[in-house]
Amino acid sequence: MTQLSVIENVTCLGCGCACDDIEIVVASDRIVDARNACSLGRRWFGDGQAPSAVRVDKADVSPEEAVSSAAARLCEAARPLVYLAPGLSCEAQREAVAVADLLRARVDSVTSSTALPGMLASQEHGFATATLGEIRNRADVVVFWGVDLEGRYPRFAPRYAPSPPGVHVPAGRRSRTVIAVDIGRAAATVDADVRVEIDPADELPTLIAIEAFIRSSDASGLHASVADRLRSTARELATALLSARYIALVYDAEPDDRSERTDVRFEALASLGQALNDRTRCAALALRAGGNRSGADSVLVAQTGYPCAVDFARGYPRYDPHAGSTLRLLHYHDVDAVLVVGDATGISSDIAALFSNLQAVVIGPHASSAALGARGVVIDTGIDGIHLSGTALRTDDVPLPLRAVLPGPRSTAETIRAVTAGVRRVLLPARPVDSAALGS
Amino acid sequence: MNHLRIAGGLVYDPANAVDGDVRDICIEDGRIVASLPVTAPRLDARGMVVMPGGVDMHCHVASSSVNVARRLLPEDHGQHPATAPLLDDTAAVPRSGTDGTVPTTFTTGYRYAGLGYTTVFDAAVAPIMARTAHTQLDDTPIVDGGFFALLGNDDYLLRLIDAGDRERAREYAAWMLAAVGAYAIKIVNPAGVELWKRGTKERTDLDTALGSSRVTPRAILETLVDAANTLQLPHGAHIHCNNLGLPGNSVTTLATMAALDGRRAHFTHLQFHSYGKSPEGRWQSAAREIVEYVNAHQNISGDVGQVMFGPAATITADAPVEYLLHKSSGRKWANVDIELETGCGVVPHEYRDRNAVAALQWAIGLELFLLSADPWRLVLSTDHPNGGSFMSYPELIRLLMDRVYRDEQIARVEQKLLAGSALADGLGREYSLSEIAVVTRAGPARLLGLRNKGHLGVGADADVTVYVPDDNRATMFSTPRYVVKGGVLVVEEGQLRRAPTGHRLYVRPPFDQSVTHDIERYFDQYGTVRFANVPVAGLRDSPLPVGAR
Repeated sequence: MTQLSVIENVTCLGCGCACDDIEIVVASDRIVDARNACSLGRRWFGDGQAPSAVRVDKADVSPEEAVSSAAARLCEAARPLVYLAPGLSCEAQREAVAVADLLRARVDSVTSSTALPGMLASQEHGFATATLGEIRNRADVVVFWGVDLEGRYPRFAPRYAPSPPGVHVPAGRRSRTVIAVDIGRAAATVDADVRVEIDPADELPTLIAIEAFIRSSDASGLHASVADRLRSTARELATALLSARYIALVYDAEPDDRSERTDVRFEALASLGQALNDRTRCAALALRAGGNRSGADSVLVAQTGYPCAVDFARGYPRYDPHAGSTLRLLHYHDVDAVLVVGDATGISSDIAALFSNLQAVVIGPHASSAALGARGVVIDTGIDGIHLSGTALRTDDVPLPLRAVLPGPRSTAETIRAVTAGVRRVLLPARPVDSAALGS
Repeated sequence: MNHLRIAGGLVYDPANAVDGDVRDICIEDGRIVASLPVTAPRLDARGMVVMPGGVDMHCHVASSSVNVARRLLPEDHGQHPATAPLLDDTAAVPRSGTDGTVPTTFTTGYRYAGLGYTTVFDAAVAPIMARTAHTQLDDTPIVDGGFFALLGNDDYLLRLIDAGDRERAREYAAWMLAAVGAYAIKIVNPAGVELWKRGTKERTDLDTALGSSRVTPRAILETLVDAANTLQLPHGAHIHCNNLGLPGNSVTTLATMAALDGRRAHFTHLQFHSYGKSPEGRWQSAAREIVEYVNAHQNISGDVGQVMFGPAATITADAPVEYLLHKSSGRKWANVDIELETGCGVVPHEYRDRNAVAALQWAIGLELFLLSADPWRLVLSTDHPNGGSFMSYPELIRLLMDRVYRDEQIARVEQKLLAGSALADGLGREYSLSEIAVVTRAGPARLLGLRNKGHLGVGADADVTVYVPDDNRATMFSTPRYVVKGGVLVVEEGQLRRAPTGHRLYVRPPFDQSVTHDIERYFDQYGTVRFANVPVAGLRDSPLPVGAR
């Protein structure tokens, strides 16, 4: 009979909710069940199997050979890019930024092609937010603004809000008012007390109008030309919001193929979230998708000061979120080699197609299955959070432990570190150390 | 074995009553030893000033909240690029970053070491965010580091206080410190942050009730101060009082000190809590009342939280203060309510010498320093980056040591609110080098209970800074000639040459294991992180000892 083992309190990176209550059932070194996980989580854990190929220009080689080839190719590049794909622990992300710094490379992540508008809005104006525990325990009015909760964040509602009881909302769902705002086809997929439909063209004017009603009861700041229908929707929403002790304003930071989204929409949402704090309390929460994307932003901010689109070419980090995003760089052919770290199968298809024209080094889980690095270096590594332990950040930046539940291929972080050491040997030959210097 | 003799310097080691005597400092394997063979390598320090490495007991350098500030300030980073140092150290990858008001992690470590500081504590970490603090400390090279855990608005703790169960509250605090790898208990605006999260924007006084009349700032302070002392933690509870930054708050500060009634406790950034209010409602200095209370009460210690003119970033768990600052200054604002534990607010700020309130704040900080009778109990900080950057410490030292320079600066600042301040009346005191050594290393090390830091006696950690004397004390203290960290020569001829990994400073106090059942039940009921996922495993180094000396 096959021996089953259960590993409890496992963190899932299937979406940004990062539920840490998953129970992984393992038999014969395969995952046979992921209890408590949603459909996204089950897909993310899969059966826990991962390839472990190591190739240079399609030929199988030893890991040492691949690492040294990767280092040599990256050192030869004039304009290398280090790209943080999803699926990396913070530990691996830190190693990747280190090698980018050493190479004077660009470094970017999926953020620049996904959540950048919200990031820029938050940097320009600030933000009023909260961790999920506050929203769970305090929010008596929860607004889901065009977010596909069921499809993209399936356990948000049962785990954080509105379902569970909280310290200040003891009856859970019954203690809260849920407002769903559908923006055209982008419906807020949640069981709501109030549902408001807004034409995508009216989204921004509505947000501005709600803020005007928050700032003064007659919305005196609002232009006379604003249509009555829009004005009345805004007044209704403002009234509902102001009845709250604590509002959670939840929206998706990621692109959603159901709707077009303008950059200013994110500024308006963040601005509304802040303005509500003049009258009551409000936390605006921009949801991030899976694979520790918030971790990539956080690591880059800590080490470089900037969350994405960083250029080390001058020997220090520079931030160019517009012209320096990966898509723009590739469009202008301003990259001649790319080091992709993380799960390359999680990169958007337009970027992946452009990467495939470049000298590529791909280090990450499923690297050999991705359509990258045909003429390049491919090193399959284990999956952080399945084969390797570490740390990941939830969508609200709360850090959680990643547990290794299965043995698997080599460590991503250690492989990147080995490449860094190879790069160092090429770029910075060891200097003699004088006798008075005490080495540690 | 690694040996080094720092030979013939003028040694300032106040913990061992050495005051500018010509001595050799002998180092073997990272520790100070009594003697070395004559053949040991030597650094010629003749004519130079030798002190223990600096100890910063209160700054904000490694936390999720610091990262909120970093994220919020790309324009500040853009103006302050930091190239990687040219290290001789083959073990460490030299890293670039950015300076400015909130430097990046690696740059923070390099800059502290470049100033001769070798030990640094982040003063405010939400326990749930501890992993992030440890990660950032891992990326802050050279310095030994740790952090204080925010407990003064923690919902579970407040429940125990409400139930009158202060013993369990103490055991909970011990469990939390041990679980997250913290060094000390931090209290920020007790009850006030929770009141902000409940929508209150008014001031919080010592007996303001939080729901229940049993839960007040006074009760929280008593509980956690007693916890730190009963647990015999190396550092007493680290207190940021209620009503920070508000005119007239000295009343709250003095009431808080009196409430503790002889108990050991540390009052942080006292400058921000020493504001009086004139009968007409204007700001005025209350520095004299505060410092006289501290002078007269041996149980109390403090750090100043000096304001320095120039750009700053205000980062605090005292989120309601940041809301008010945002409203009054119009600068951008970030707020993060954190998980039934605490808050976080960030607003960029600038202290201008022509601004009356900023000039008063600056003057109050200097008054606290100059009226202090015991530099061992009132030490140097700017609450980096709240009152100014740690990079301004040399300028602050010059203000303390050089009356002529200080008087020139006083004459330049806006005078409107300075009437009645002791500084305006002329304070002639000049700090000696020995007193500077006390307020920047020996004093903070002693207040933190770090037995091997802040002095150069046998057995101490070999953290040593060597300065070239200069009449301009800012020049002298901004560019040490040599810095030795744990026996490794990290700064040589004024240049950063090595970047070894620092040690983690934390405690793991024992606690009654039976309390964890109820904590686990609470996490199951209200948490969004599993109880089993709270403890941070795999920390560098062993915990520091807890208990009586």
